[in-house]
Amino acid sequence: MSNLLLCQGNFCTFLCPHGDDLCLNSLKDLFNRATNLSQDIYNLSSKMFKEFDKRYAQGKGYITMALNSCHTSSLPTPEDKEQAQQTHHEVLMSLILGLLRSWNDPLYHLVTEVRGMKGVPDAILSRAIEIEEENKRLLEGMEMIFGQVIPGAKETEPYPVWSGLPSLQTKDEEARHSAFYNLLHCLRRDSSKIDTYLKLLNCRIIYNNNC
Amino acid sequence: MKENAASRVLFILLLFLYASLLNGQSPPEKPKLIKCRSPGKETFTCWWEPGADGGLPTNYTLTYHKEGETLIHECPDYKTGGPNSCYFSKKYTSIWKMYVITVSAINQMGISSSDPLYVDVTYIVEPEPPMNLTLELKHPEDRKPYLWIKWSPPTLTDVKSGWFSIQYEIRLKPEKATDWETHFAPKLTQLKIFNLYPGQKYLVQIRCKPDHGYWSEWSPESSIQIPNDFPVKDTSMWIFVGVLSAVICLIMVWAVALKGYSMVTCILPPVPGPKIKGFDIHLLEKGKSEELLRALESQDFLPTSDCEDLLMEFIEVDDSEDQHLMPHPSKEHMEQGVKPMHLDPDTDSGRGSCDSPSLLSEKCDEPQAYPSKFHIPEGPEKLENPETNLTCLQAPQSTNGEGKIPYFLANGPKSSTWPFPQPPSLYSPRYSYHNIADVCELALGMAGTTAILLDQTDQHAFTPSKTIETGGEGKAAKQRESEAYSSEPDQDMAWPLLQDKTPLFSAKPLEYVEIHKVSQDGVLALFPKQNEKVDAPETSKEYSKVSRMTDSNILVLIPDLQAQNLTLLEESAKKAPPALP
Repeated sequence: MSNLLLCQGNFCTFLCPHGDDLCLNSLKDLFNRATNLSQDIYNLSSKMFKEFDKRYAQGKGYITMALNSCHTSSLPTPEDKEQAQQTHHEVLMSLILGLLRSWNDPLYHLVTEVRGMKGVPDAILSRAIEIEEENKRLLEGMEMIFGQVIPGAKETEPYPVWSGLPSLQTKDEEARHSAFYNLLHCLRRDSSKIDTYLKLLNCRIIYNNNC
Repeated sequence: MKENAASRVLFILLLFLYASLLNGQSPPEKPKLIKCRSPGKETFTCWWEPGADGGLPTNYTLTYHKEGETLIHECPDYKTGGPNSCYFSKKYTSIWKMYVITVSAINQMGISSSDPLYVDVTYIVEPEPPMNLTLELKHPEDRKPYLWIKWSPPTLTDVKSGWFSIQYEIRLKPEKATDWETHFAPKLTQLKIFNLYPGQKYLVQIRCKPDHGYWSEWSPESSIQIPNDFPVKDTSMWIFVGVLSAVICLIMVWAVALKGYSMVTCILPPVPGPKIKGFDIHLLEKGKSEELLRALESQDFLPTSDCEDLLMEFIEVDDSEDQHLMPHPSKEHMEQGVKPMHLDPDTDSGRGSCDSPSLLSEKCDEPQAYPSKFHIPEGPEKLENPETNLTCLQAPQSTNGEGKIPYFLANGPKSSTWPFPQPPSLYSPRYSYHNIADVCELALGMAGTTAILLDQTDQHAFTPSKTIETGGEGKAAKQRESEAYSSEPDQDMAWPLLQDKTPLFSAKPLEYVEIHKVSQDGVLALFPKQNEKVDAPETSKEYSKVSRMTDSNILVLIPDLQAQNLTLLEESAKKAPPALP
């Protein structure tokens, strides 16, 4: 495998400076695993959302409340293909890391609070648990990739903090369900973003835009 | 007049209204948004269903606003998507953002608006079916033939950059069959199908699905005719394998049938039944145990007279008037009598059961004699080096109550016959026994002047004591062993050990035997010791034959049953020593 040349405009760098096969193969392997994880997280969150919607949100119009409710909306994520392709891989990677980190805390509380819900279907609870676990693993993997692709990267940037715990714990059942709906809706969206960005990076870095 | 005009207008209006009501005209019904779809996550189209138009020409307008924006936009393109549709081009499409879309129907009578539809383009992706489906029959040499299916990704999907990820699914069936055979192709745009039936016409279809989104429609059918002579499977090999295995099975069956029994015995040898000499099964069946035992007894099973053969024989030094070594089962010399023990040269440990003190005491006729073993070390190399590493070990009271069994511990090669150039030594008709203690004393000399030369090449002489157990001595051996070890450090201790014991036969003078030397083949030369105390001419001597050597280098002596050689040996003994090897 020839060395990976990463070009952004006129600026090109070698991904594995020493060109050794171990570095290249390990990077390919890391990306492979990361995309598998991100795809899995998306599948789980999508199913979880649909299950919740079917069971608790029919005819309630929670969607209107869910607009603009994601805590990660402050992150400057690209919103179409052209924008994403013009974003530097370093920026894209740090965005992914920021998203993953900002979901650690909400996922933890999601599991705790879902457990406490009366009559919660197992499909929702088990998926929540699995997503929390896989999110951590993906974060680890991403940090490894980040370290390899951008050696000497600066320390972690601040990430958006979630503050929706009180609304998850409120006594008002309607309000609580609405809060859950919001959280699951945002989770589905952000996991889709992470998945798409990773696949973009994978094709760009490993396969040189020739997937 | 004016009043007339106003009322007239009102009247006409009412008339119109009435007329229109009669005609069925009304404001349009609420339209309904059916669905929105994006073929490649870069554009999307929405379709609506119009309601009743109220009898009047109705216009439809689609308006939307995006999540986080307040500005309301109208549909940019009503035409591209067909009637009652709105097409959003790349410019107007954002991913991961909610669109709130509404369609309004306007006619002369009024306006009706649909319910808003909340759309996120991410989740409405439905690609076109894959394109360029090609079917090709391939038949490479030395490999199985197959159907090679190829296709390309659908339009409007950007797979190369990674923006769009697709999975494929293919299904095929013979034309007349009802069930489809489906295959999954995760990423590649080709598939190989094996195991097709020749002479059939196959129909093939393909569809695809994005990583987040809906399955596409099935592509139009492609068909291919499999020729009749198409080799479906590599059957010739399987036929060969089948025939071969059948032949092998037949051979095996035939072999088993012919030699079944012998094969079975070869694989599973029968358990040997008990074969006890003198054991009459019939008696057992009858339940006459007494007869059975008697029958057994009549055989030589139980050591009665045979016991004597099994028992070791000892050289007995007799203090009788003859004043010569006489095999003499005289008990007065013995502390506790002597048990004749005869060991066949070829005896094995099994027979040594008679050696065991317990057996002997129980079964043998001899009174409480105890087995004594006369062990003489062999170490021909050390002949010139007569170190008296002799240790006479007095066995402590064995748990069998056998009393002391002194031992000479020796090491050396296997025993051979008694060491005299003449044929094995004579003996007296009677078994000669020798109390080892006596021998010890004889050997070591109460006065300490005897010099039984024992070669003891190394300290290991003591170690054989461990293996005394092999003779079946059991605990007794262990005790001896412990005594052996205890006395090991200082061999001189052995001397006082013996000397501490009361002489076994004190009053009577004894003739001493001197082991002169030991030859290379383990031939021991015993020499009567000239003792000034013993005023006796040289007389016939009794000699013992070394019957065997145990593993522990213990020499087992038996009297030789050739009396006629006695004199010969006597004489030769005198001459022999220098001549002995």
